Amino acid sequence: MEGNRGSLERIEVMRKITELTRSMIVELSNGSSRMIAIDRFKSYCSNSLENCCCRFNLSEGKDVLTLQRESHVRRLDVLLRVLLIIQQLLGENRHSSKRDIYYMHPSIFTDQSVVDRAINDICILLQCSRHNLNVVSVGNGLVMGWLRFSEAGRRFDCLKKPNSAHFIPVQVEEVIDITSAADYILVVEKESVFQRLANDRFCSRNRCIVITGRGYPDVPSRRFLRLLVDVLALPAFCLVDCDPYGFDILTTYRFGSMQMAYDAKYLKIPQLRWLGAFASDFEKYNLPEQCLIPLTFKDKSRTEALLQRCYLRREVQHWRLELESMLERGVKFEIEALSVHNISFLSDEYLPSKIESELTLLNS
Amino acid sequence: MEFASLQDLYLHLISSAIRRCICSERLCRLSVLLQRSPASDPPLVRISISDTGHGNCIQEFQDLKCPVEGILAETWDGIVYVRTTNISDPEISCYQLNLKENVTTRKPIRLPSNIKHAVKFSGTEVCLFVSESVDVLLAEINCLFHQILILKVPNIAMEVVADGQDTSGSLNDAVFLENLFSGSSFTASTLDLLKLGLEDFVLRHGSSSMCNSCFPNRDELKSGGGMVCEDKHKITKLVVEAAVVIGEISNLTNNCFGAGCSDTKVLCFKDFAPCSISEAFLKALTFIDWKRHGLTLECAINQRRHALLKWEQTPLSFHIHIVVHYYHKLVANATPVVQQTRFDKKLISKAVQLALEDFKNKHAGFLLSVDNLKISRFAPDLAKAMAGLVLYSNDMDFKKECLAILGLQPHQSGGEVVEETIKKKIISVIEKNDQRPQGIKEVAHLLFKDGRQKLQVVDNDNEYCMDDFDPMNL
Repeated sequence: MEGNRGSLERIEVMRKITELTRSMIVELSNGSSRMIAIDRFKSYCSNSLENCCCRFNLSEGKDVLTLQRESHVRRLDVLLRVLLIIQQLLGENRHSSKRDIYYMHPSIFTDQSVVDRAINDICILLQCSRHNLNVVSVGNGLVMGWLRFSEAGRRFDCLKKPNSAHFIPVQVEEVIDITSAADYILVVEKESVFQRLANDRFCSRNRCIVITGRGYPDVPSRRFLRLLVDVLALPAFCLVDCDPYGFDILTTYRFGSMQMAYDAKYLKIPQLRWLGAFASDFEKYNLPEQCLIPLTFKDKSRTEALLQRCYLRREVQHWRLELESMLERGVKFEIEALSVHNISFLSDEYLPSKIESELTLLNS
Repeated sequence: MEFASLQDLYLHLISSAIRRCICSERLCRLSVLLQRSPASDPPLVRISISDTGHGNCIQEFQDLKCPVEGILAETWDGIVYVRTTNISDPEISCYQLNLKENVTTRKPIRLPSNIKHAVKFSGTEVCLFVSESVDVLLAEINCLFHQILILKVPNIAMEVVADGQDTSGSLNDAVFLENLFSGSSFTASTLDLLKLGLEDFVLRHGSSSMCNSCFPNRDELKSGGGMVCEDKHKITKLVVEAAVVIGEISNLTNNCFGAGCSDTKVLCFKDFAPCSISEAFLKALTFIDWKRHGLTLECAINQRRHALLKWEQTPLSFHIHIVVHYYHKLVANATPVVQQTRFDKKLISKAVQLALEDFKNKHAGFLLSVDNLKISRFAPDLAKAMAGLVLYSNDMDFKKECLAILGLQPHQSGGEVVEETIKKKIISVIEKNDQRPQGIKEVAHLLFKDGRQKLQVVDNDNEYCMDDFDPMNL
């Protein structure tokens, strides 16, 4: 059921579509080849802190699409096709997945990423989020723990079985009646770690909510996490592999992705704290040498690129130090390596000790 | 200057005569008389090329050279008789030159002059005897004059007279007679005359009569012209003029060019006379950015009297005809001297390029660049999506407003009408862009926001590469 707020938002987006269409018709009728200007957003840059404006979430110039270049017209063609589909979805108040949209003109779109880009362009042009377009993605994230909520009339009662995984709802804007008895939220990078915690009945022993986006998190997982953090005002911790990919996933949760930088203010979780795994954990938890994997050339370049990101220097200098430490040591390891001594080491020792020290820090 | 063939020789003499007429800036006559001389053994033909242009021009013959060996040496003894007078001269000076002699040491032999009896006129007659058939000479010179007509030189009446043809035996037949071009005023530029002349040539396919099957009337031909000058010299400047004429062919299979034939003939004139095609000329043609005009050149072939351009995309629905004319133009008050005109590859490319640009500016939709052709292929899809955005909207006021902006009445809200109107507008914008000099780009207005934002035209031709894929957006 669509609420009043949703209905008003939908009408507003449809009004903006007409405004966009009108502006294109006017341009054409004036004989102009300028069709649209799309704001360009960045979630990070490598500028010096004085020259960086990423933190203000302002656009960094515009991409002007004209009828003067084939690449522009190709992009415009895709954008207009997707916009037409979205207009129909909104008009009939139906929802569709990005994949559905792709299959409406697969020979024109050629790749899912082309549709994704068009949807992002439309969000920027209409100054809205993806869910406002009635475009949803297939749920990918999982949640368990001390939580109860409703989504579009469906009740999610994780409290009954706190160690059972539930899919994160796709229509996060429809989530209401959130209640929780948790002390914190734990975000884990991988499903395998999530399952390890479920098997170890981690949530029975710890009053928490555990979430995973199963790798790079999708929009619903990030929006759901953001909703929980906003509504429940709980501390949130994140556990990722000690490698550049794990770190990139961590920054996606905390600062948002580059592709959806325009929507970062609704997706980022500034309160998120990095729990591990750190390069220093290797000595601290006495991991054997064979658990360590040398950083490849690609890993090193990626890490160096990560170190240049403005938000690390501006907001989490200590994360940067950990990353530099990993680069210096030239090795990486996965969270699963912590199970080398004992399969439940992660839930019995590692996480409780990390969380306790983080909570102590927070309370002090 | 050494002549390789008889044709080169009379081409040069006719060209010089035309230039003398142009220099005189008066109404002039150019006559070519072919006269059989049966008394001689072997029989000779007297070629007389006379003009009423600027006279007293014996110095023009100083550098000319006839080879001492070869076909030309066998058909011509190298002797020319020149009679020339300027308007103020009291007599007609007569000379004899042996062009087989060494250029540096030879001197013209002065023959007895003719008195003008106080009549004021100027002109030159060059006369020589060659061992050749009158019919062969006549056919060649006739063809030559049909080509010269392309230039539409406004102040010269031309005639070719053959006396004692091989077969008919008729006397004093005026086989070619072109009066002063009545359709043009003397104020018309040489470039405009060149365009007009090429149109006539295309309509007639180079013959004396019109072809009614290919282009029944002149309106079916469209033309453009370009001119570049190089004035390094104080007295003269090198001028290159090019004209392009395009005719749309309604019947692709039944026309004089042959079914599916889209080749382009390029004629070249040097100093008001047709010239044979050189490799440098071919190169100049290949330097042209044809893609900017929607054409992809497969190859340029030297056909001696013209260059043949073969296009990759055939058959085209139209025929392109090009003519290039390069000559020296007198710019300062000085004694006109017909001099050698050098060839400039860059200027020739530039003139043709300008002619093509001029054509595009005058005839929207023609010669769209390869890039804009690709862009225009998106027009139907863009129009369909935009029409959909208008027509599927629930906002009736918005629909009405859009129809009004498109210049449509409320009853014209059918999908096809709206789509077609938008498509035409898109095509018109693309055509306008094609006419705009390259590198000039428009900047879009801001849509929802005001503010001093940095604008940038996206310049990425590989926008859909897989690198753009970001798993974070799933």
